[in-house]
Amino acid sequence: MKKKFVLSILFITCVLCLHAQTSGTKESWIGELKGGIRIQKAQKLYWENGFAFDFTSPRLADRSIHLGVSYVTTRLGSAMGTNAIKQDNFLFSPGYFFRHHKQLQPFTRLNMGYFHADYEYAIFDVLPNKAFLFSLDAGLSYEFKMPITISLSAGYNLNTGTGTAGPGTLYPVFYQMSIFYTILKKR
Amino acid sequence: MITKNIFCSLQVIILLCLSACSKSPDINNTTMLDGDQIFDPSLYNPAKYLVSVAIANPVTAQKNTPVVIAVHGYSATTFEWDEFRTYADSKANVLVSQVLLGGHGRTYEEFKKSTWEDWEEPIMTEYNALHAKGYTNINFVGSSTACPLVMDLIKKGEIGANGMKHIFMVDPIVIPSDKLLTLIGLVGPMLGYLETPMTPAEEGHYYHFRPQETLKQLMILIDKSRKDLQEGFNLPAGIRMKVYKSIKDPTADAVSAVLIYKGLKNSDNSRIDVEMIDSELHVVTRLNGRDNITQHDRDIQAHVFDDMYKMLMQ
Repeated sequence: MKKKFVLSILFITCVLCLHAQTSGTKESWIGELKGGIRIQKAQKLYWENGFAFDFTSPRLADRSIHLGVSYVTTRLGSAMGTNAIKQDNFLFSPGYFFRHHKQLQPFTRLNMGYFHADYEYAIFDVLPNKAFLFSLDAGLSYEFKMPITISLSAGYNLNTGTGTAGPGTLYPVFYQMSIFYTILKKR
Repeated sequence: MITKNIFCSLQVIILLCLSACSKSPDINNTTMLDGDQIFDPSLYNPAKYLVSVAIANPVTAQKNTPVVIAVHGYSATTFEWDEFRTYADSKANVLVSQVLLGGHGRTYEEFKKSTWEDWEEPIMTEYNALHAKGYTNINFVGSSTACPLVMDLIKKGEIGANGMKHIFMVDPIVIPSDKLLTLIGLVGPMLGYLETPMTPAEEGHYYHFRPQETLKQLMILIDKSRKDLQEGFNLPAGIRMKVYKSIKDPTADAVSAVLIYKGLKNSDNSRIDVEMIDSELHVVTRLNGRDNITQHDRDIQAHVFDDMYKMLMQ
């Protein structure tokens, strides 16, 4: 599995470098930066909410490629005031946005990162509680005239808990909604 | 042209779905529990399995003897607790009542149309019958799916108020190990059923084919249990509970024990007992019918039986 992650990261880096090299030297790296909240629901499990940032640049395939980072956790979702397991997801998400000059943009992303579950009691130290996150998601993003963007997507986690390996509360299917505020935009 | 292509594709998909829906399993009636020849023996001879039927008029000594209502898991039968009955019989001071879950132990078709509420019903029936006969020391031991069923009865306040002493849970399921179960509502109708590999010795005691309808019921039950535990609830006063959980369980994810530990507390808000067990088996107390059993597995089974017995005698 680790080999797959490394190969994926290498592939994405190569694609990004190639795009950067072919974009010419006149254009600036400064493009568009958005920040906002993310609401995520795993199918038949927890709400995990948090923060997300999205960056794109004219040098990233003329703004077709976006780079995102996000943090979602049950601490801001199902685990607030309940007995749900406290778990955190840290993600880096390169994505490809189609129709990037239009308001409605279909997109697809590859998400990679780190998952951690806090079982709180020493008796459960024998259980796996960390994992690499590796998922794909696809959806629609809508950019309003005001500096707000809403994106909806559904995704599939390729590295879930299996009972014999991996954290048990890492589920396959998830749904996301992100609401972004455009912090910086250079035409 | 494009519209025609889409229409043709849709027709193919619909036909595929319909053909998948109508698929029925290839049941061997002579060897499989799924067929119409092999049934759970408790249906023929309830007196051998149910204390409430076996002892029509219990005397005072019997009423004060610990009675353990042993409940099996999803797709299993009373077979799952046969070894514990043998163990208890050797001690001669514990009675075991092996309950067959509703819809189980019969034909595939009867299993297919059962709901999780049907599965739960016989547990209450036996508990009420024992209670009505005056038993004062009633206990539960449940494996796998029996555990969310018993937790549901506790949450509803239907058991535990009178005469209940201990609840033991062996490899309870709240989180499935196979996470694709969460998609059963979507893929179930296309699959029809799931086939489970098992040894020849298990064939007559476990359903070989699991109807997608019952897998949906299982998902509804464990999802309800997870939500109940998330909110949190307490055991009735005077009941002691212990969970035994295999740490590499291919059926019930070990994290189920974390959810139970966090969500279900004693009446005084103290924590219940949990023991994490170094095993790769699901239901560590059932070894009969399995291949490749090790001495380590036998030691674990003996440990759990001894531990439960010790608590019953306190």
